[in-house]
Amino acid sequence: MPKKVRIPVGPQHPALKEPVSFSLELSGERILEATIRLGYNHRGIEKACEERSYIQDLYLLERICGICSHSHSTCFVQAVEEIAKLEVPKRGLYIRTLIAELERVHSHLLWLGVAGHEIGFDTLLMFTWNDREIVMDLLAETTGNRVNYGINSIGGVRRDITDEQIKKIMKAMDTLEERTKYYIKIATEETTIIQRLSGVGVLSHDDAVKLGAVGPTARASSVDRDVRRDDPYAAYGEIKFKVITDNHNDVYGRTIVRVLELMESYNIIRQLLQNIPAGPIAVKAPRKIPAGEALSRYEAPRGEDVHYVKSNGTENPERVKVRAPTLANIQAVAHMLKDRYLADMPIIIAAIDPCFSCTDRAITVKDLGQKSEGLMQWGDLRKYSIEWYKGKGIDFSNLKKI
Amino acid sequence: MGQAIYNILVFPGLFFLILFGWAAEFIDRKIYARGQKRVGPPWYQPVADFIKLAAKEDIVPEEASATSFKLMPLIAMASAVTAFFYIPLWTTEALFSFYGDIIVVMYLLTIPTLTFFLGGWYSRSLYSTIGAMRTLTQLFAYEVPLFVVILASALLANTWSLSEITKFYALHPHLWIFNLLGFGIGIIALLGKLEKGPFDIPEAETEIVAGSFTEYGGRLLAFFRLTLDIEVIVGASLLAAVFLPFGLNLTPAIGFVIYIIKVLFIVILLAVLRTILARFRIDQMLDFCWRYLAPLAFIQILINLLVKGLLLR
Amino acid sequence: MSDIEKTKENLIQKFPALAEKTQITRETRIWTEIPFELFLPVFNYLLTDLHFNVLCAITGMDEVTQFSVIYHLAKENQLVVSLKVILASKEKPFINTITDTFPAADIYERELVDLLGIHVNGLKEGNRYPLPDNWPQGEYPLRKGWTADRLKKKEGGAPNA
Repeated sequence: MPKKVRIPVGPQHPALKEPVSFSLELSGERILEATIRLGYNHRGIEKACEERSYIQDLYLLERICGICSHSHSTCFVQAVEEIAKLEVPKRGLYIRTLIAELERVHSHLLWLGVAGHEIGFDTLLMFTWNDREIVMDLLAETTGNRVNYGINSIGGVRRDITDEQIKKIMKAMDTLEERTKYYIKIATEETTIIQRLSGVGVLSHDDAVKLGAVGPTARASSVDRDVRRDDPYAAYGEIKFKVITDNHNDVYGRTIVRVLELMESYNIIRQLLQNIPAGPIAVKAPRKIPAGEALSRYEAPRGEDVHYVKSNGTENPERVKVRAPTLANIQAVAHMLKDRYLADMPIIIAAIDPCFSCTDRAITVKDLGQKSEGLMQWGDLRKYSIEWYKGKGIDFSNLKKI
Repeated sequence: MGQAIYNILVFPGLFFLILFGWAAEFIDRKIYARGQKRVGPPWYQPVADFIKLAAKEDIVPEEASATSFKLMPLIAMASAVTAFFYIPLWTTEALFSFYGDIIVVMYLLTIPTLTFFLGGWYSRSLYSTIGAMRTLTQLFAYEVPLFVVILASALLANTWSLSEITKFYALHPHLWIFNLLGFGIGIIALLGKLEKGPFDIPEAETEIVAGSFTEYGGRLLAFFRLTLDIEVIVGASLLAAVFLPFGLNLTPAIGFVIYIIKVLFIVILLAVLRTILARFRIDQMLDFCWRYLAPLAFIQILINLLVKGLLLR
Repeated sequence: MSDIEKTKENLIQKFPALAEKTQITRETRIWTEIPFELFLPVFNYLLTDLHFNVLCAITGMDEVTQFSVIYHLAKENQLVVSLKVILASKEKPFINTITDTFPAADIYERELVDLLGIHVNGLKEGNRYPLPDNWPQGEYPLRKGWTADRLKKKEGGAPNA
């Protein structure tokens, strides 16, 4: 084997759930350097937002990500409400927060499963995803959808919650809490898991601050930051909860933070349901939003989500800017991959709970898709890809048949 | 002559091995699935997989050495099947046997692993190359403990033939108890040999796609997978013959049932282990094998020497 | 006096020119607007003296008559100051990189380069983000009035067509 090899991980690779390209320089099993190429999921959402009305944008932005969809729509809607000076009724805020926390539960359970899969422990994946179904069913029942809930509207939420649903969620929380305790036990006692997670993907406190890491990635390096507490939005100002931090600085710490955050989320959901006030769930919003600008922050399951909205008094926004949590964490990944084993690559990447769809948004190519002359025929596409790979030194054009 | 050909090709040879291998794969997958709260595949899934793969087009990477690439699955399968003939199954007599066959069987069982390495190496893909290197690295880790524990058992029986070993243990039925440690080590080493979790490092899907097999498809992959199925049976039979010498002097029918139970017991043990453990890293695997497994294997030798000196005088 | 008002006071005391442009929109948000020449002193003052040491995002904007870049800086994750910098030139907009202070700004700055065509002085060589490698030169999709039709008119067509 040559001394140094450069292997591509992605855009398509089994370790990645979404297309992104890592290029790893290896010496044997050791990673010398990692470079990242983002942008494969670039769909032009920011540009598209400028051409659509606020209500359309709400649904468009919800589709930035399939997992933290509520995060993006809430973050956007908060900014618009701030500009329009809309007072959202308490009950609406509580429901919004409830969905946000249910989303966090399902996202963290999903992550735990993915983490298990990345270290070759599919049993954990199957177990957590089975329990995740409980949350998915709750979300489907309260909002009508398993993902992309569409519950937000400018000025409140679109669906009320019934007493029956409240009882059902309360009951489900007990089940989930019990299951989560079991996962905490597994994560802290199973030797092979600890062996694979501790000391891997180390990100010191100083590096985490310097590289601008957010969310559980930062909190596992004892960076005590959580927008829910620091800059309260929705109903978080009235809820008591702890911000979980950990000082392991590695993937193991990130696992601990996430499972303990799950417990905290159950606690928040219980408080929300016990204290939910009666009343209307939304106020009517004007179609035209007065000129102004606002910056909205939101603690998504993966970290701080930032939306900037500028309005110009018309039905369409002037500018929408989305900063998804993964974009802030991606610099830390390249840092963490350095000098690690190839075998640790999947879990290090997975440990920030990456969401490249969130990360890549902006420009539009929608017109190309609609008009036939812009569409590539299959043959052209094939030719294009062969040419492209030839440029990279790989020739697929005349594969030998047996 | 006709009898020998029947024995080699049908029973207890190739045909039986393939059927039993598929059955074992089904049981392994079903247990794995049930352990993960999944339903699992229907009983004919391994056969269906084989037929489906066999019906697919074979693709050889342009840079690969075509002959070696295509030859590897066949060599792998041939050597695994050949090894099987020297292992005593439900009697104390293997199909073929000679003094020293224990060494031949061990080496024949190493050949499939080497073909995984060569197949991966010849495909020239980066993932395959890394997988191939891992296969070889892993081979050096588990092979020594496996050799040592099997030789330890042979030492006690004072022979170099597998058939003689089983004969010896059939005569001294209580002595297998001293080999329990060796059985445990054998199971762990077998996990490494079969590249099953937690030692599925050479084909760790999330890191190097499918390791050595990344470039394989169609019939060639089907044969590799069939080889792995057969290797499970051969490996389990070997461990059963050496470490679980029960029911060897009974009528063939009952002996056959006991043999099936022994092999399935080992298959189930392997399936449970891969259900409850996460994948090791290659360095951790090496560390584990050399630091714990190899010394324990030598302790097994010591135990057997003591037993031989004190009890069998 | 609350924290945010103190911040505003400090800022105006240090840079009197900002008095008119600085405003508080709610208890944790402060907005200010500066010309490009003032960027470094104000940025450094916010960073070192007022401890706004978390970079939330960088937003680039095409305001038809001018380009502007907004730096959203947070303090211990509570107060957020949005520092809007009006760029000097509409034809050849440029800014200076802040990757020395915030390595994470790298990706935000690349976005400005790709989507708005704002040159970033001092930005290290690296993969582009987020447009494809063979995106035609001089096409900046987030500029006002840009539509995808422009790609087709160009010789060679769109990267995917």
